[in-house]
Order: sequence, then C-alpha cells, then structure tokens
Amino acid sequence: MTALLQVEQLEVVYQRAITAVQGISLVVQPNQIVALLGTNGAGKSTTLRAISGFLGLDDARVTEGAVRFKGERIETLSPQDITRRGIVLVPERDKVFPNLTVAENLIANAPRGMTLAERRRLHELVHQYFPKLAELKGREAGYLSGGERQMLAIAGAIVCGPALLLVDELSLGLAPVAVEELTRRLVEIRRELGIAILLVEQSAAVALEIADHGYVLENGRVVLDGDGPRLKSHPDIQEFYLGGSGERRSYRTVKQYRRSRRWYG
Amino acid sequence: MQLYVNIAVLASIYALIACGYVLIYRVSRVLNLAHGELMMLGSYLLLTTASLFTGHPYLAFAAAALLALVVGALVYLFLLRRMTGEMVLAAVLTTVALGILLRGVMVLIWSASQQYPREALGWANPAIALPGGARISTFALLLILSTAAVYLSLFVFLRFSRWGIRMRAAGQNPLLAAQRGISLHGVYALAWGLSTFTGGLAGMLLAMDSGLDGTMVVIGLKAFPAALVGGLDSLVGALLGSLIIAAAEIFLIHHVDPLLSDVVPFLVLIAMLVIRPWGLLGTKEELDRV
Ligand SMILES: Nc1ncnc2c1ncn2[C@@H]1O[C@H](COP(=O)(O)OP(=O)(O)OP(=O)(O)O)[C@@H](O)[C@H]1O
Ligand SMILES: [Mg+2]
Repeated sequence: MTALLQVEQLEVVYQRAITAVQGISLVVQPNQIVALLGTNGAGKSTTLRAISGFLGLDDARVTEGAVRFKGERIETLSPQDITRRGIVLVPERDKVFPNLTVAENLIANAPRGMTLAERRRLHELVHQYFPKLAELKGREAGYLSGGERQMLAIAGAIVCGPALLLVDELSLGLAPVAVEELTRRLVEIRRELGIAILLVEQSAAVALEIADHGYVLENGRVVLDGDGPRLKSHPDIQEFYLGGSGERRSYRTVKQYRRSRRWYG
Repeated sequence: MQLYVNIAVLASIYALIACGYVLIYRVSRVLNLAHGELMMLGSYLLLTTASLFTGHPYLAFAAAALLALVVGALVYLFLLRRMTGEMVLAAVLTTVALGILLRGVMVLIWSASQQYPREALGWANPAIALPGGARISTFALLLILSTAAVYLSLFVFLRFSRWGIRMRAAGQNPLLAAQRGISLHGVYALAWGLSTFTGGLAGMLLAMDSGLDGTMVVIGLKAFPAALVGGLDSLVGALLGSLIIAAAEIFLIHHVDPLLSDVVPFLVLIAMLVIRPWGLLGTKEELDRV
C-alpha cells in the first residue's frame, strides 16, 4: 500500500538564513491520524506549511527533500494546486473570516471538482458533527469563542472535501471539555469520511489519545516516533510531555533522552 | 429646492465613481489611482460603439458597458496580477503609471476636444420639472437611478451570492481564502471588472449629460475623497461620503465662490483625515495598511 503522504528528509529555510526544519521524515497512511508533537519553535507549523505549500508568503523555501502525496511529488507545486489535490490546512491563527457569519464562512469555501450534491452532503454532515454551528449560523465569526472558532475552522476545511486534513494546534487555548469534544469529532470524521489527519499538538496527552502514530520534533528534527500507545508509555514522553514524574526539567539537559533517540529514530 | 436636486445629482456621480475605489480596496487593499482615467475610457468607448452601432443606441450603450467590465478584468490580469503578494505600494504606483499612460493614449485616439456621445446616439436630454419648481435633466435623473440600482445590486451580490461572499472573504484574509480553494486572481479580476464597469457607467452617463473631454479625470479624482471620507472599505461609507462632499461643494459654490468647486472635496478630506483618519464607517485597524 502506498502512503498517502510521505515526507522525506525535508529541510525548510526561512529568509535564506534560518533553518527551521532540518531533515524531517514522516509518513501518513490512508485513514490514519498522525500527531506531530514538540515544544515551541520545534518546527511543527513550518512542516505543515511546507506540506500545504504556503511557505512563500513567509519567505521560506524547501531547500532539501521531497513531499509525496499519493505518490506524486508536490513540494514544488503552488498552494492552490496542492489544495486542489486534497490537502487542506487549518492554520494556527486567523483560521476563520472574522467579518463573515458562520454560514457565510462555510459557503465561501470553493472546493474543486465537486458536484452540488456532494457539496450539500458535506454541509449537512458538518452540521451533524457540529450542531452548534447551525445554532450560530447568523453570528459573525469574529465573535465566536475559541472552541466554536476551532469547530468552524475544521468544518470549513471539511467542506472543501479533503483527503488529508492538516490541523495546527488543535487544543491551543481551549478548555478540556472543548478539546475532548473536538478530538471525538475528529475520530468520527476520520472513520466516516475516510479523511486522514495530521495533527500538530503541544499537548501530548490530547494527541496521543487519538493518534495512530506520533512524531516528536525538537529543533527541526524528529527525535522520537512510534505508534500511539508506545509513545504514550515511553519514559521520556511520560516525563517531559505528560508530566509523569516530579518536577519539570528541561529535556535538553538530559542525556538519556538523547541516547534513546537512536532506538526509535 | 434646486440646490437639493443639484446635491443629489452630484452625490450620485461621486457615489457611482467611489464604489469602484471601495470595491478594489476592499478585496485587495490597493488604491486604484487610475480609476478616473478608466472611467473616462468608459465614456470614450461609448463614443466608439455609438459610431459602430449607428441607429442602435441601446446596443451601443450595452456594448460599451460590457467592454468596460472586460477592460477592468484585463487590467488586473495583465498588469496587476504580477503585483499580487508584492508590496501594495508597488501596485498603487502601477495604477498611477497606468493612469498617465491611459490619458496619453485617449488623447491620441479620441483627441482632446469636447465631444458629445449623446448626439452620436441620437438621444435628447430634456429637462424634467420637479415639484417645488426645480428642474433636472433626463440623464441626471437616470444617473441617480443608476447609482441606486448599482448600490442595491452590489449589496445583494456581496451579501447573498457565492462569489460576493468569496470576495469579502478574500478581502478579510487572502491567505485563508487561498487555503480554502478560493481563486484570488479570479476574485481580484472580478473586483477590477466590476469597478471599471461602475466607473465607466458613471463616465458614460456624465458624458451623455454634459459632454466629454479630458477634464472628466478631475471628477474621478474628486470622488476619491468621497470614498476616503466614508472609510475606504465600506460601501455605505462611500454613499455617505459622497453626500457630504457633494453637499459641502454645492453649498460653498452657491454661497461663497464657484471657483472653490475643485478644492472643496479635498478640504473636506483633509479635515476628515485630521479628525477621524479611518473615515466615517471605515475599519480602524485598516489604516496602517493604506
Ligand atoms: N516567518 C518566519 N520567519 C523566520 N523564522 C520563522 C518564521 N516562522 C517561524 N520561524 C522560525 O522557525 C522555527 C520553527 O517555527 P515553527 O512556527 O514551525 O514552530 P512550532 O513548532 O510551530 O512552534 P509553536 O508550537 O510555538 O507554534 C522557529 O525557530 C521560528 O522562530
Ligand atoms: Mg506552531
């Protein structure tokens, strides 16, 4: 079986000077939920931007490596072409159109190659997953709460009919109940629509709950990866991401952590 | 009474022109400083179609309006598309250059002398008596009605049609719009087309009413303060701004000195910029992007 998304030795440089991603490789299989973990500045958002093609706006470039989607190399394609092939990004910030209503936010999306019937069906489904959005349909998106906004952003991406959904910072600034609801919906969406999801998360607890596979990034490199349960029980993850044992220490100072990469990397 | 009629006519002229500035600014943050020239181009196109379709004035009019729409879209696709994503200033400077170029070309093609497309089309322009003893020319009345129709259609289009909603979306967050599959070039070309169409329409009706020569550009320029006073990203604001500028202009001409006519809009603009720089109905945070 060919992978849905295959990133090989990806290197991304900002402004010809800052190397934010230094040789990341990762795989997303069809129908899989994959989590990208790591602290601030690890290069998670940059990786998602590189996959979706929206790098040029920040004056960044893919300098090495390849991104394959359904076997086809896409790292040189324009963002529009990548979107058209079925990769849709839910960005970290500015994820809704603030002065449009909730309903207009959904209507504005312009999926390619979909019949009107398919489009209608997706709109209906989205309202099934997020009934709250139907209640709020006349509200301007700028006035939504963080959780409602995230729902709308995901709903907006879904009506574009993606094969792969990229979600940056699912749980950022959200209450635990809201996060739980969102993750439950993502699992449903994956199961019922067959959409694969690549999820960027600060909170390993949230991500590893639903992920089939996870990658831990640090300074633009993958330092750890494995399937969900295995990562969850890994001592480093326990200690540094799940707050398992005692006081927080910086993992950069811990040698054992560095050593353990080799077992997984 | 005549004073109020004059204000209504002038305000309609400004409003019909100003909505073109607003449309383009709202979707792409670009000030189209060639709008006056494009508007004049519209009326010269009418002159040409009038001589092409002699005896079919309606056809000539429709053809000229359609041409204006196409010209606007082409200006974007061939000239400004390259500037998308670059600095807004580069795009604005391009429109300045385009304006100068157009002015030269129009003189070359159609000469600088005063011309009357209405005669070429064979239409009369009788004055209509209004209650209260005021009078209004047929085409001035038509101008008011057209402005109302254009604004009404624009509101409906922007609020209820899929493409209208996409235009607003692209104006608010072009990056997200692109991520959601909205074709930015399509949206921008549409905005340019509509803007040149409405501007051209204003130019044509104005030329029908009072003839056509190079000074029409000045009227296009005077509508710019109207758009700015209202707040460049608001159509209602443009309507309001046009009314304010027109009222100030007519009153000062009437009570002080007719020579003030060309100065008043800019005086109002400066006063506005000092008191409330983002305009009456504009968005405050938009200001830093101008
Ligand atoms: N537009 C930019 N220009 C220059 N450098 C950038 C830019 N965006 C990000 N970087 C740098 O690239 C590195 C990785 O950033 P990135 O946003 O990918 O991290 P992240 O893992 O998403 O972090 P966070 O969890 O805080 O969102 C950082 O060192 C950051 O400073
Ligand atoms: Mg990030």
